[in-house]
Amino acid sequence: MDLYLTALLQGLCLSGIALGIYISMKIFNIPDITTDGSYTLGGAVTGMLLSNHLQVGIVLPVVIVAGGLAGVCTGLIHTKLKINPLLSGILVMTGLYSINLSIMGRSNIPLLNYKTLFDSFHFIADLNRNSLMVLLLIALLLILLIGYILKSDYGITMRASGNSEKMVSALGVNIDRIKIVGLGFANALTAVSGFLMTQFQGFADINMGIGIVIVGLGSVIIADTFINWMNINSIWTSLVLVCMGAILFQLVLAFTLSIGIDPTLLKLITALFVLSIVSLPRLTLMRRN
Amino acid sequence: MIAKYIYPTYLILFLFLIGCKPSDSSIPTIGFVDAFEDATISQAHDGFMDALKSQGFSEEDNTLKVLYRNAQGDIPTLTQIVNYFVSEKVALIGTSTTLSTITAIQRAKNIPIFMMVSPEPVRMDVLDERGKAPENLFGVSESLAYIDTAFALIPEFIKPKGDKIVVGMVYNQSEPQSQDALQRVKALADKLNVVVEAVPINSSADAQLVTQSLLNRGIDVFFANPDNTVFASFETILKNCNQYNVPIFTSEAGLVQRGAVAAFGADIYQWGYQAGEQAAEFLKKGDAAGLTIELVKLRKRVYNPEAAKHYNLNFPESFEMIE
Repeated sequence: MDLYLTALLQGLCLSGIALGIYISMKIFNIPDITTDGSYTLGGAVTGMLLSNHLQVGIVLPVVIVAGGLAGVCTGLIHTKLKINPLLSGILVMTGLYSINLSIMGRSNIPLLNYKTLFDSFHFIADLNRNSLMVLLLIALLLILLIGYILKSDYGITMRASGNSEKMVSALGVNIDRIKIVGLGFANALTAVSGFLMTQFQGFADINMGIGIVIVGLGSVIIADTFINWMNINSIWTSLVLVCMGAILFQLVLAFTLSIGIDPTLLKLITALFVLSIVSLPRLTLMRRN
Repeated sequence: MIAKYIYPTYLILFLFLIGCKPSDSSIPTIGFVDAFEDATISQAHDGFMDALKSQGFSEEDNTLKVLYRNAQGDIPTLTQIVNYFVSEKVALIGTSTTLSTITAIQRAKNIPIFMMVSPEPVRMDVLDERGKAPENLFGVSESLAYIDTAFALIPEFIKPKGDKIVVGMVYNQSEPQSQDALQRVKALADKLNVVVEAVPINSSADAQLVTQSLLNRGIDVFFANPDNTVFASFETILKNCNQYNVPIFTSEAGLVQRGAVAAFGADIYQWGYQAGEQAAEFLKKGDAAGLTIELVKLRKRVYNPEAAKHYNLNFPESFEMIE
């Protein structure tokens, strides 16, 4: 059972990315590649600050600001220089590689002997269960925060601008600013994922972000399947489902690892499992017709 | 309405039930994790298994159960693999390459870890405040001394076109030991009357461009420092160097097999074998008393006859031929 518990923990760590991608992808219709860079950025800042004996309480705000800045850069490049959002993301992500490397000073910072987030709180003695409590608490806080923002007037404008940019700008709203702030939020969330994951896996690595945007997109689309299938309109439920999507992804991976298939087929089998989960609603609908 | 939720619930229950199958505990179970796919690196796994087999532990004879997993370059997968080994309560974990070793140290505190193809703990930065490596870390590591021996081969066999031999090399910014190797090479270069032209490379996709830019600087010889990018893109480097008639020297026998001229250094297969022997000792005794982190014992001088002929280089008998 321990394996699935740790997969659950890993999923919770990655739920920040899922929420970030949910904002950029579902609300702004921008597939934000900056994610690869800002996730590593979160990890790099965490690794660097923790290994310099700073408190977790100081590290987190720095991570959030750093990630937010990365997103703002993408937003500025996209809106002010009128560059395709995909390219803006790719450019910022590419640039962040060097920035991350210089933040870390080396390619890999192990955090074996430093006090991490999971050592800072002691709810129960069992290490994994304690981590679960901490992560659940953080995921809950993230959902509450994002939910609150999306429900506020500003959030409603954000969502509306994703649905119909022209209408919202006709109402006199500065679309550019909304996009920049939104991407800032999204990447701050992603950086928080990097922050959590670095402490969970115990090291920051320059390559940790490569392809991570796929995990986020996967989670959001899994969640989207369920949102459409169950006709969910509530923001809160959607956000919870997005986090569940991230967790499901990791559970599937854990399952594929545990059944002991040929390592060459690992990724194929993982993909097939995810496919079978998201196609389930389709199959049941077909039967009903 | 409820029917909607039934299928996912079944599916999840199914996943959990299969995942919880009981295991046969009479024979030892070990885990082995590779961080990525690579033809040369995977020889460490072969060596490890062969060593265990020669000591009477093999899957064919039903005296050992091996859980082999490969993360295929994905770090979250790597963490999950180690978690899986921990939850399966394996007797020991074999880790190949630095990243696997670091992940294993971090997640498995009570299971002995036998590393290979990894640098010394101090290079991985995993020492505690008292300067000690983690208590459950064993296996075989390599110091930077291999660079001295391998790099010193170059002036023995290569004549410079100008005043000094110009050695081209690529290094991977994302690997600590690759960066350390570069520092070592630069320090050596002054003593050996050699100039080093080093260019960073971060992914195997850049290999073509980076190698070309090095070759355009008129290097006499290419020193292939074995890091993950070089392993992954060696054929690209080789093809370009051959076009410019630039021989490749390295420190790893596997790369000589793939077309480098000569090497003096560790053999990845033997490296795995040495770690495997240590693991077998642990399995026999059942406790880790007396085991320490060893250094690579066997360094070989090897050369590739075809490449040597192409560049008109003659190697003495102390060099072993590799085909």
